[in-house]
Amino acid sequence: MRAVLFGMLFFTFNSIIAQEFRTDISYKYIFANKWDKAIQTYNFSRPFLEKKQPLLMHGLNASVSYIFKSSSSLKHGIHISYNYFKSSAENENLKNILNLHFLNLGYIIHYENNEKTKGLYTDLIISAVSSGLFRNVNDEPFEYDEARAKAFGIGGDLSIRAGYYLKLKNKIYLSPFVLVGYTPYFYSPNSEAVINQTKGLVSNNWTGIFTTQVGLTLHIRQHQND
Amino acid sequence: MDRRHFIKQSTLLSIGGLLIPSTFLSACRKETLFEDINYDGKVIIIGAGAAGLYAAYILKSKGIDFQILEASANYGGRLGKLTGFANFPIDTGAQWLHGKNSILGDLITKSNTKITLDDSETKYWFNNQLVNSLPQNTDIFEGDDLPDISYNDYALQKGLGNEYKYIVENIAGDQGAAATRLSVFGNNQDEENWNSGDNDFKFRETFFDLIDKEIASRVKDKILLNTIVSKIDYSQSTIQITDSNNNTYNADKVIITVPIPILKSADIQFIPTLPNEKTTAFSKIGMDAGMKVFLKFSNKFFDQNIIGGPICAAYADDSVGKAQNDNVLLAFIMGVQAEYLTSLGSDTAITTTLLQELDTMYNGQATSSFVASHVQNWTINPFVKGAYSYSTIGMGDARKVATKPINKKLYFAGEAMNTNGHHQTVHGAVETGYREVINILNDIKK
Repeated sequence: MRAVLFGMLFFTFNSIIAQEFRTDISYKYIFANKWDKAIQTYNFSRPFLEKKQPLLMHGLNASVSYIFKSSSSLKHGIHISYNYFKSSAENENLKNILNLHFLNLGYIIHYENNEKTKGLYTDLIISAVSSGLFRNVNDEPFEYDEARAKAFGIGGDLSIRAGYYLKLKNKIYLSPFVLVGYTPYFYSPNSEAVINQTKGLVSNNWTGIFTTQVGLTLHIRQHQND
Repeated sequence: MDRRHFIKQSTLLSIGGLLIPSTFLSACRKETLFEDINYDGKVIIIGAGAAGLYAAYILKSKGIDFQILEASANYGGRLGKLTGFANFPIDTGAQWLHGKNSILGDLITKSNTKITLDDSETKYWFNNQLVNSLPQNTDIFEGDDLPDISYNDYALQKGLGNEYKYIVENIAGDQGAAATRLSVFGNNQDEENWNSGDNDFKFRETFFDLIDKEIASRVKDKILLNTIVSKIDYSQSTIQITDSNNNTYNADKVIITVPIPILKSADIQFIPTLPNEKTTAFSKIGMDAGMKVFLKFSNKFFDQNIIGGPICAAYADDSVGKAQNDNVLLAFIMGVQAEYLTSLGSDTAITTTLLQELDTMYNGQATSSFVASHVQNWTINPFVKGAYSYSTIGMGDARKVATKPINKKLYFAGEAMNTNGHHQTVHGAVETGYREVINILNDIKK
């Protein structure tokens, strides 16, 4: 009952203010140079590990967005996304897992011009990004001094996304998309301590992050004259 | 182009445009530093302590030729093991693992080494009696805006009077220093960088066993013991090292891991002489006298920790964390107290003086139940000359300057060369060992 009520409220809200509601899932590739260096140093400095710790590289992304109603070809909206990356190395007596979570809250500038590029759209997304990096050892959260080893981070991200609408049903569209993002300065002061268990030996307190994504988006779109 | 073709091509182009750079980037991103390094030069490591052994272990893992020159008859540096004194093995040097969040924490987990949290209870010798707690808070040496003055002076400023003298001596002694020499500001900065954890752990066997089994065993065949380095000539492209027997050894790079007093007292002659800023930096890094005395008794009359004695500010039950429980009390003596006991001139005099103090604390029970003692005085070891390094008043960034490599030939490691708060520790020494191998390989790449 609660789910039905939520669904009704959602569609009412969507038809009042939103031009478009989206939800998507995608593969995400990440390149964070300082985190790479910390993991590379971890591997370099621990020859006793037969299996090396993989770099944080491949992950999943899920997001939802609202594009607000506008008659212009340039619209704006809001965007929230969650990303998850994992690096796991299983050695005898030492299974080490790094779990990296990101939460992005962004503002979208959406462009589509049906007359010139029918079905094609592009988004510019400016986001605030927060992250949590955690370490598990032998399937338990790694703790010392009765507290979990953790590193939180914060930064700003600029992404460009392009996709193509494929109509499935009235108001329902599917679009494959690609996205390229860059976070020039991501502040995460404790990440080296979680990854390599040192401070100031490997990297500074920040890293640049480059991301790419490829995925599919489900759109519920109001037509211009709805 | 019809719509279907356009969709197909644009999708393929988009995915291709994304995946090709990603795949390329992935291929460039190596899992470890210097994955493809190929260096045919020779590295000589001076000192077979934790830093030297670990540097050797890393060099071996990268297939680089190396040799370790060790002045004493044993490897391990300030780690040591005594068997036969009690029914458990005794650490004559470094004993506690300070926090699990370190490279050694990983090595301990990987090797399934048994360690136990040391949560033993403490009593204080205060106003000539043993008490469970102190009237005033002594936790005053951490915080913001602390002055660059000694622990002793700061304690007096904060109202910890003469009755707290040896309590403060113990707090400074934990850092290997006399309370009159350890900087409140400097040590607080070190504490702010500290991130391996505050819990202390003891080894079921010994710390030496961990380093011996997991590290030294892999490089033992490359250690030349009883090789006292007297001269390092780095004036030519090949570095020439001379020992006290006039044997010479050639190397392309040298990692110097000797304790800081050896560098301060110029026991090794450098040609050309080291830059002034380097020798000044060495002189600013503190290292005081330090000794461990193990006292064996026929019964356990003592508490697990006794803090604040005027002869020895820190006694600890050495059987804590061990599989057996012979009655062995460790007298952990640093700074001025170690200087005083060293000045007595003999192990017997040191033992007698400590027993007298314990007799005062425990109504004569020490002497009556005394069985044997073992004195490990690191101060009189000519290749160590003290306990471990500490931050002196006005030290500034001396550690960073001391650590800088010279002419891409000389590299400095060891606990005193740890610049991120982990000096004084074995894991800190290990960190410097691999750090200097990274520095060497970076220089080679350039």
